Amino acid sequence: MRSDADHVDLLRRLAPQVLGVLVRRFEQFDACEDAVQEALLAAAVQWPQEGLPDSPQAWLITVAARRMTDQLRSEHARRRREDTAAAQVPADDGFAPAPGDEQRPDHDDTLTLLILCCHPALSPASQLALTLRAVGGLTTAEIASAFLVPEATMAQRISRAKQSLKATDIPFAMPPEPERSERLRVVLHVLYLIFNEGYIASSGPDLQRSELTREAIRLTRAVHALLPDDGEVAGLLALMLLSDARRPARTGADGTLIALAEQDRALWNRAYIEEGTGLITGALARATLGPYQLQAAIAAVHDEAPRAQDTDWPQILALYKLLERVAPNPMVTLNHAVAVAMVDGPRAGLDLLATLDADDRMAAHHRLDAVRAHLLEMAGDHAAARSMYLTAARRTTSLPEQRYLEARAARLTGGNDP
Amino acid sequence: MKYMLLIYDNAQTRETFLGEQGEGLMAEIDAIMNELTESGELVGGEALADPSNTKTIRLVDGAPAITDGPYAEAKEHLGGYLIVDCESVERAADIARRWPSARFTPLEVRPLMDTSGAEM
Repeated sequence: MRSDADHVDLLRRLAPQVLGVLVRRFEQFDACEDAVQEALLAAAVQWPQEGLPDSPQAWLITVAARRMTDQLRSEHARRRREDTAAAQVPADDGFAPAPGDEQRPDHDDTLTLLILCCHPALSPASQLALTLRAVGGLTTAEIASAFLVPEATMAQRISRAKQSLKATDIPFAMPPEPERSERLRVVLHVLYLIFNEGYIASSGPDLQRSELTREAIRLTRAVHALLPDDGEVAGLLALMLLSDARRPARTGADGTLIALAEQDRALWNRAYIEEGTGLITGALARATLGPYQLQAAIAAVHDEAPRAQDTDWPQILALYKLLERVAPNPMVTLNHAVAVAMVDGPRAGLDLLATLDADDRMAAHHRLDAVRAHLLEMAGDHAAARSMYLTAARRTTSLPEQRYLEARAARLTGGNDP
Repeated sequence: MKYMLLIYDNAQTRETFLGEQGEGLMAEIDAIMNELTESGELVGGEALADPSNTKTIRLVDGAPAITDGPYAEAKEHLGGYLIVDCESVERAADIARRWPSARFTPLEVRPLMDTSGAEM
């Protein structure tokens, strides 16, 4: 007996395959995507009651193709009414589901669809939403609740994204190189954003949101299976696994954040750590170095330490130096400063942080204040650290981060403190 | 990122919106609301009734003391709000700048607190 969860997994896995078949046959991506979504919803209702069809994929293709046929017929009828020079109405069998609609096992449209949904003409929010629906097979309601917006808002975002794609009139095919590589970078970034959106979610009302993490891992796994030799794909998958491995330990029962150094490492997901470490070790040995691989390597060094004090900080510092060279950005500098502090002492770390004060992107950012507070605390300047924690707490727009920062400040409130 | 746009009114706001430029101002509001709906940025929003309908509740020695009218007399009062989900604070500020009442009374753009957080 299959559970609803099994059905959901199966539907999400089949969604891009079914959509690929339809788009290839009917071309209109936006209408096909709606038809597939309707077929998925129908399956979610019928399969648990009536049992799984012999070929779930063929079932979905048939149902979705029927929707498309109905819609095209009614469009033709409308056009015929409007236009006296009526267009030739295609014969019925032109739209009937053909035998052999099953995908060849060696053919997978997931990557083509991902590249389409992450088209640079779309805003990042639209890329995320469309990817989750068209490739991830999530319903609009599920995506809306994950992003904590009304369903109508999310529906509008998705429909607008599809309209924008229609306007660009791009063919449903893999773009040629070098465009292909560039577009793949965008896909990886979107998958990273989906992961992060779920990863920062903690508990309670955010449970739905944390499912995004699982979804991002699933999709990145699919891309890795299609492009096993791409080091950055392997790196991103490793980074997700090595980060998500810490999820059980990173929040307390009441949702408070627990710093990496204070987490109960026995709670870390060993299977994820092993898989992630294996992936990143393989990628670093074979592929061209890239930012996801470096971030994964740093995560692996953290995850491999049995206790926080066993962390190989010199190695982490070396990796951050490389990362600053490959993909310089202020967030990297921020973490680099922590590694410098751990190896060369807090004052050296604070000196590196000072270089960010001139950066408009960072100067008023709570993360800069938070890291500075940590390093001041390390340096023993508790009064300055406390006031910096409180500045960071005021600046953050995250409730759990605010609670964490206020708790750090409270710890430093000594008896003789004013 | 979600932002609340707090829209402040004053005693003349209704008059302005009922006056000869009123129709144009309302059309501008409709156009912005349509734009936000179509872009998938609109999360919600409401208009508040006139401040004279306010009840102010305080506890005095543990007993509720209810008075009619707002807590503080001010030249400007909160007239309504919008919640938008935007790519950047610049985009949210741009919506506020174009909101027609901004020509007469200010708007505030404030980020909403998020229940998620990153480990530090």
